[in-house]
Amino acid sequence: MSLAEPVAAPSGAALSPAASGHLDVMARRERRFAAALLAPAFIALGATTTFPLLYLIWTSTFRMDLAMPFMDGFVGIENYRQLFADPRFWQSLSVSMIYTVTTVIAQVILGLALALLVMNMKRGQGLFRFIAILPVVLSPAVVGMVWRSFMLTPEFGVIDYLSISAGLGSQNWLGDPFMALVSVIVIHTWQWTPFAFMVLLASLASLPDDIYEAAKIDRAGPWQRFWRITLPLLRPAIVMVVIMRTMVALTAFAAIFTVTGGGPGTATEILNLYAYRKSFTELSIGYGSALAVALLVVTILISAVLFLIRRAK
Amino acid sequence: MTGPGKVRFEDVVKMHGNFAALKGVEFEIEPGEFFALLGPSGSGKSTTLRILAGLDMPTRGRVILDDQDVTAQDARERDVAMVFQSYALYPHMTVAQNIAFPLEMEKKSKAEIEPLVREAARKVRIDHLLDRRPGQLSGGQQQRCALARAIVRRAKLFLLDEPLSNLDAKLRLETRAELKRLQRDLGVTAVYVTHDQEEAMTLADRMAVFMEGEIQQIGRPADVFARPNSIDVAGFIGSPPMNLLPGRIEGGQVVVAGKPLSTAPAGLASRDVIVGVRPGAVQVNGTGRAATVEFVENLGDTAILDLKLDGAPIRARISDGRPFADGDQVAITVAPQDVHLFDAETRRRIEA
Repeated sequence: MSLAEPVAAPSGAALSPAASGHLDVMARRERRFAAALLAPAFIALGATTTFPLLYLIWTSTFRMDLAMPFMDGFVGIENYRQLFADPRFWQSLSVSMIYTVTTVIAQVILGLALALLVMNMKRGQGLFRFIAILPVVLSPAVVGMVWRSFMLTPEFGVIDYLSISAGLGSQNWLGDPFMALVSVIVIHTWQWTPFAFMVLLASLASLPDDIYEAAKIDRAGPWQRFWRITLPLLRPAIVMVVIMRTMVALTAFAAIFTVTGGGPGTATEILNLYAYRKSFTELSIGYGSALAVALLVVTILISAVLFLIRRAK
Repeated sequence: MTGPGKVRFEDVVKMHGNFAALKGVEFEIEPGEFFALLGPSGSGKSTTLRILAGLDMPTRGRVILDDQDVTAQDARERDVAMVFQSYALYPHMTVAQNIAFPLEMEKKSKAEIEPLVREAARKVRIDHLLDRRPGQLSGGQQQRCALARAIVRRAKLFLLDEPLSNLDAKLRLETRAELKRLQRDLGVTAVYVTHDQEEAMTLADRMAVFMEGEIQQIGRPADVFARPNSIDVAGFIGSPPMNLLPGRIEGGQVVVAGKPLSTAPAGLASRDVIVGVRPGAVQVNGTGRAATVEFVENLGDTAILDLKLDGAPIRARISDGRPFADGDQVAITVAPQDVHLFDAETRRRIEA
């Protein structure tokens, strides 16, 4: 304490009662020290996330065309005006929506079904959980490669083989626009259902047994127990899974890129992929940035809505 | 009393692997009776209740409910109501929804359910809390909510699994009296599991004392207290527990620690016995055998003297502990009718 005295005096603490002035100075010094400790992390975070984001928004107000650099210059909101009139933007946005909604719903339903099934397993639960988690730890790019070559190749792929065996004939899985979209949805669902499964299983395991016994005594059947007790009690976990998976699905990239590259045509071109193609294939960086900002806005809006729903009850 | 709610257990055995949780339990409960299953933890009383509820299946034996074999039926088909030790309220529903749940499962209409829920809530005095969630209630209120949920549907059987054990002492006394009144009003058969002999003694019309998966004794609480039929029951029932002293019957006398304590019932051959004396039956007065006061426990309205009788510890319950101090020499007597004799080998009561 005596060491603090010389510092306290010049800062004008003499005017206030000695004790509280003392504490004030101490608190200020603490805060300064804390800020110094936090600064490196803040600077690193700002340099790697905030700055690129602001730079992206800045870039989106320019015409920046690597193929025609002589046309470059500030255009204000021109890129956005163009975007609203761009049918390919609306097309990719709708693909993004279809992709997100179907994969998230499929993940929750399949994940919940698996979790309920595994909850009742007496043996081998640990092994099942281990196997189930494997797809999650794979890189989406690897998953895409595996599916494109090993699963979906006509004549040789496992899925195609099953289709032929089932009498449905060989299909051009990734060549047909509709089938290609279904395929990338299935691939994403395959990889990420285990995540929903693990979260819901953990949540399910934490529900007390006694309320199920009470429900049996109250003469609730299995369906009634599921709809009236399990589902409402899992609601927070389900909403959390939906939020997390929605954010990821909206910004999915690697698996689709390796499997179809957005094709055939623009059949599987989600907004993210369109922004990539515009920027790095057509080299229209300014417009690509505007597309990326649009994706950011869409993601934030949807997340905001989901968080509102979460808080609603 | 007549009506539904007659229960019979026939040679019920429950195995958990190689461990026998119940070893051939048999009893009968009359309609309208308040029947307590009393025993220490792990004695099989809760298992018995769960089998009666249909939450567990017995390994062997039959459960008869109103002359109908329900052994193979699960809980849904049995028409029983139960109050769990943990209350097991549905945390996502309000009190009203919790109470209404069993009625909704019976497909009753909203118009029918509403007044029934109100009435059940009023009976346990939580009708002002109907919109709350279980998480917003105190332990006592949650307990009442669980009670209301159990009584709202007029089930044949009312099962209670240690319903008072999570309440504090004062609330426990209040609720105990209310439970009894509630059961009387409803006239429903109640089966009550407890490890607290005081609860069983005060609430039950009859009780079954469980020890290690077996019923040791069935009877009215006062009868079980007055004539425990084994050493284990004698040691379990009563607070402080009955004094159990090794002794012998010799020449028409009950001999404890080398000297006669009282006269033995006529016609008993000489043998080793365990002598049981309730602390309340030990009379501390000027005559009789000498004993040393080891310790005086003053309980306010009564006192307990920890005595040494020629080396054997013995407790006496007296009305006033003030005249005694540690180390005092006293003399004790026990009336012959207050002496319980148990066979040292079979551990059963020796009937006079």
